Amino acid sequence: MTRKRLEIAAAGALALMLLAGGAIFLYAPTDALQGQVQRIFYLHVSAAIAAFACFAVVLGGGVAYLWKENLTADRLARAAALVGLVLTTVTLVMGMEWAKPVWGVYWTWDARLTSTLVLWIIYAGYLLVRRLATPGRQAARFAAVVGIFGFADVPVVYFSVQWWSTLHPGPVLVNDALPPEMLATFLFTMLCTLVLAAVMVAIRYRIEVLLDTQPMAQVVPSSAVTSQS
Amino acid sequence: MRTARIAFAIARKDLVSEWRSREMVPALAQFVVLALVIANFGFQIDAKSAPSIAPGVLWLALVFAGIVAFGRAFTSEREQNTLEAVMMTGAPPSAVFAGKAIGAAAVLIVCEAVLLPALTLFFGTPLSPGLVVAVVLATVGMSALGCVFAAMVAQMRARELLLPLLVIPLWIPFIVAGGQAVQVAMGANGTIDEALRLLLVLDILFVVLTSLAARFVLDD
Repeated sequence: MTRKRLEIAAAGALALMLLAGGAIFLYAPTDALQGQVQRIFYLHVSAAIAAFACFAVVLGGGVAYLWKENLTADRLARAAALVGLVLTTVTLVMGMEWAKPVWGVYWTWDARLTSTLVLWIIYAGYLLVRRLATPGRQAARFAAVVGIFGFADVPVVYFSVQWWSTLHPGPVLVNDALPPEMLATFLFTMLCTLVLAAVMVAIRYRIEVLLDTQPMAQVVPSSAVTSQS
Repeated sequence: MRTARIAFAIARKDLVSEWRSREMVPALAQFVVLALVIANFGFQIDAKSAPSIAPGVLWLALVFAGIVAFGRAFTSEREQNTLEAVMMTGAPPSAVFAGKAIGAAAVLIVCEAVLLPALTLFFGTPLSPGLVVAVVLATVGMSALGCVFAAMVAQMRARELLLPLLVIPLWIPFIVAGGQAVQVAMGANGTIDEALRLLLVLDILFVVLTSLAARFVLDD
């Protein structure tokens, strides 16, 4: 995508997220038990689902790269890993914000919390492999292997609330009947977050293309390069 | 057939060279005993608390001994550029990988032969067959995973730093199932069969996956 199109897409994603914020705070009713804190749920769950989607792209990109040595697949995997890691961070931080008033502690070694933290560590490792391997074929191959093995934790996170007895609420959409306003707010927020994630992956993809094809000095403004060194 | 022969030849080579130098096994054995000493200072250990602490100590010692063992498995190959020579013989990468994994697993099992009696001695853990089977089953899967990532990081910068970061998260399923088996063996509720079955499934899954991945990690 061209720069102009990416800028328009970014503005659109931002507008959607603002709309989602409006829905969360103005449209959705206040939870009878938890009060205002419950509003964290909408973005917390949406970010987690978007992160899973990103890691699925990392998996698919890795498999495609190992199979066909397709550079596009590798760049897509790189971009998605970074965005997925950011979204996992959002999920973890918002979850802790919610846990403090509701559970009384920021953190507990619950199966879902622990497996999500492990997920974060795995993809942080993925990005480290990208940085420390020899750029090019080696980095792409090694990272693809890490991305494929690392994805094993995604189903563990998802099913953790069913496999172990946990404090973490189960899948709300499947189990509890959410009031229709809450359900609508959640689905809208999830859609907006997925769009935002896709736009971020597209932007990062463009950065990866530029970094691959041009010397650093042309991608990063010269002032930034000199101040770093 | 050829694959198995190559794998055993490579495992034999590694074990013979370990037998001649006797570097790693004494160091690792000392390391795991040292881990028990550290645990003694870190926790309040008495007859009552030992059963709840011992499984954790066992797996911590094993994980860190494993990191050292798998890191070393490829160090000497890298230092003398022998891995390239081995790959140039035309041996299938999965066979080379299996050989390295078997060699490293054998070293780790020798290390466990020191760790488990030491745990019995210092922590009063009963040395039941179920416990031994659980630890050995976990070693198989952990070796397969450990060797893939050890082969990978041997070709990268900051390898000592990266290996634990990549491997430990993927070892967690083995630690969960193995920990459960050890707790049951030490008198907790539940049956050990379930944990052993889970370990076996994990072993099969990761041995298959890692032998598929070996090609991409070794053949460069």
